[in-house]
Amino acid sequence: MSVGINRYKADLRELCFVLFEQFGFSEYAGKGCYEGWDEATAKAILEETYRIAREVLGPLNSVGDREGCKVVDGRVKTPKGFADAWKQLFEAGVKQIAVRKEFGGQGGPYSLYALIEELTSGANTAFNMYPGLAWGAAEVIAEFGTEAQKKLFCQRMFTGQWGGTMCLTEPNAGSDVGSAVTKAVKQADGRYKLSGTKIFISGGDHDLAENIVHLVLARAEGAPAGTKGLSLFIVPRVRVDASGKLGELNDVQVASLEHKMGINGSATCVMNFGESGECYGELVGAAENQGLPQMFRMMNGARIAVGIQGLAVTSSAYLNALEYAKDRKQGAPFKQWKDPSVPRVAILEHPDVRRMLLELKAHVEGIRALVVKLAVHRDHYHVLAGRDDDQAAYHQGQVDLLTPLVKAYASEEAWRLCGQAIQIFGGAGFLKDWPVEQYARDSKIFSIYEGTTHIQSMDLVGRKLGQSGGANFTAFIGDINGFVEANKSHPVLGKDVERLSGAAEAFMQVAMGLMGWAQGGKVELVPLNGNRVLTMMSQLSVAWLLLDAGVKAEAALSKLPAGHADRAFYEGKRYSAQWFARNVLPNVEHLAKLAMIEDASPVEISDAAFAS
Amino acid sequence: MPLKILVTAKRVEDSESKIKVDAAGTGIVKEGLKYKINPFDEIGVEEALRLVAKHGGEVVVVSVGTKDVHEQLRHALAMGANKAVWVHHDGPIDQLGIAGCLQKVVEKEKPDLCILGKQAIDDDQGQVGQYLAEWLGWAQATFASKEESLESEAEKAKTPAIQLAADGKSITVIREVDGGLLTVSSPLPAVATTELRLNQPRYASLPGIMKAKSKPIEELTPAGLGVDVGVKLTVTKLAPPPARKAGIKVPDVATLVDKLKNEAKAL
Repeated sequence: MSVGINRYKADLRELCFVLFEQFGFSEYAGKGCYEGWDEATAKAILEETYRIAREVLGPLNSVGDREGCKVVDGRVKTPKGFADAWKQLFEAGVKQIAVRKEFGGQGGPYSLYALIEELTSGANTAFNMYPGLAWGAAEVIAEFGTEAQKKLFCQRMFTGQWGGTMCLTEPNAGSDVGSAVTKAVKQADGRYKLSGTKIFISGGDHDLAENIVHLVLARAEGAPAGTKGLSLFIVPRVRVDASGKLGELNDVQVASLEHKMGINGSATCVMNFGESGECYGELVGAAENQGLPQMFRMMNGARIAVGIQGLAVTSSAYLNALEYAKDRKQGAPFKQWKDPSVPRVAILEHPDVRRMLLELKAHVEGIRALVVKLAVHRDHYHVLAGRDDDQAAYHQGQVDLLTPLVKAYASEEAWRLCGQAIQIFGGAGFLKDWPVEQYARDSKIFSIYEGTTHIQSMDLVGRKLGQSGGANFTAFIGDINGFVEANKSHPVLGKDVERLSGAAEAFMQVAMGLMGWAQGGKVELVPLNGNRVLTMMSQLSVAWLLLDAGVKAEAALSKLPAGHADRAFYEGKRYSAQWFARNVLPNVEHLAKLAMIEDASPVEISDAAFAS
Repeated sequence: MPLKILVTAKRVEDSESKIKVDAAGTGIVKEGLKYKINPFDEIGVEEALRLVAKHGGEVVVVSVGTKDVHEQLRHALAMGANKAVWVHHDGPIDQLGIAGCLQKVVEKEKPDLCILGKQAIDDDQGQVGQYLAEWLGWAQATFASKEESLESEAEKAKTPAIQLAADGKSITVIREVDGGLLTVSSPLPAVATTELRLNQPRYASLPGIMKAKSKPIEELTPAGLGVDVGVKLTVTKLAPPPARKAGIKVPDVATLVDKLKNEAKAL
């Protein structure tokens, strides 16, 4: 039993709409590698996960925030209840849904898992990082490890027997990961002896599992400088033999814990490897200097997971703010605002509160659609791989293209919109009596870790837009244009659909401009506009997907009789689409105008001119 | 000795749904409601699973109603029940009809023990377990509970609260009664009904939900079972609890005391 109160809220009707009605779960579930999956099962799984989220994880969210983590006798002690929650989560099989069957999972679709991840992350962001990191680390071993490594580590990590971490960052190697100096010296028996310090290691130590498998980025002796000379090493906290039996400690120490603004239940550790010269690890796979692509595999999954964190807390912030706005009475109806004798009304009746709520609703739904769109592309890729390579490549290309958008846009908006949820609460929202202030604090890190927003924007403009000769980007724009062509005469949303054209064109213009700047001696304009370009593409994508949802909701609505309980839901989808298309989408064209001014003030201003 | 246990899974309105009385004033508005397994029945499923984990055997879950009850049967199967029986009936039915159907299913399945919720959270009738025991001529141990708290180690270890005798021929049940606990012993076969404090039901594991899809659901009908489900009990009026009245302001303490004494009779 937990001591806290659950505040987490999710709207399962909306989750089911996105997965089943908007993106056609049944078109790929039940096929190929997803044989045996169907909507009824997925729905039952979402319902049971939501129950676990509310009953097991939610009550620990504020507990973790207030209690935080401690180091006791050299070990991290997680907040009260976390160990029990870890056990229950894995017993219920929540984390194993999309894990391959050979590693003890159910082999389910990633799109379903993305929503499960939303429910667990939203209920308790800090807690969910521990199993999330174990998952990410196990994925890398499953992808790049030797057969022996897969056999020894994967199932144990996927099923919660052992935890896992990613140890990348060092004091002088954060965004600039190529400056890492942790050393790995090859021993006669083929193992490596590691030494170095890693910082900002989430879940670097904890008391939730019997062992923790660290994936440590280090430079093998004699390897080249920069990112090319990095290798990834498997470094268990407790040494294990080939059968998985635990042996002696492996000279991995927590040096200290960081004191943070948010996600306080997640232990952020400074880790020392090989302080006594006795830290042994093995290379992931068989070859040295493969660390960067291996790390990126892990990072891509983690970046999507961070986007989902942003979606998850914003969604709960919205639903909590909505409940509060229905309940809290303050002020007169706006048409009689000067009359003190009129009974006070719920703040939900005030136009500006409704504006803020609709802004939250539209963003939450649009970002969820973006996340699920990405995940559905990944599922289609897995169904088609080896059967239709052209189509599979298209889907993988869209996953690559949308990853920086999901990571950066969902995380930036989470911070802004959790702030807005506080605003709806007014003074109450600033208090710890309500969950929104914690959501805001927890959400700030999302735009920083696993590659900052600017790193995402450089990934987008420097790699993803031009990837495969621009084919992925062209296909993306093609998808939007196809949607506009098909729906520009829609009786309800046609005018709003048409707004997409102008925005898509403005965005293309800036994308072309980027190339011109890069080649035409104005290279500084690329980083100066990077975040702006990412915002433009995100807003364009979200508007498109909201309108797509709106068109599908209108079709469903037309089949329902008057007074049917589901009508309000579908009408809500229309308003989300309409509001976003009229209040956010036009911003894309505006941002294009700003970019075309080609302002370089931030690089022109001298250091001294900032302030002395 | 392995036990065969029959449990029930009534489909009831989720207590988190907003319940409204319908225009006729004899039922509720069902549109837009969420449904789940009756929580008392879920406790029965949990207890049966614990008994079977300890002694071996199997758990059969039964529900009576439209095809919608498959959701509740699948939930019990996902928790770990072995097979399900669906008594397909689309019209109205009362507790006599339900108990009649259950009696016939019991005669067909021949369980050693039936565990039912002591009542359902929708209409709170609390009669079916007692009818069933009476009509079967079996002993009944109603309101099964336990001494240990739901935070105890025994609960965490999923220990069954209903005790099976060493010879496997009788059970001991701790009943919750006014102001205390009453321990009763009964020969098998028997009917037990559950209290809220009997156990904390497990989550349906997600692999369990997958597995439940391939577990059998046998379809029966009241007619096929030879049960008359003609409704004998009708609801004539259903009304929500009276809304709280607005408070009043009193000018001074003396008036307050006076009102508490003479109007509210609280002093």
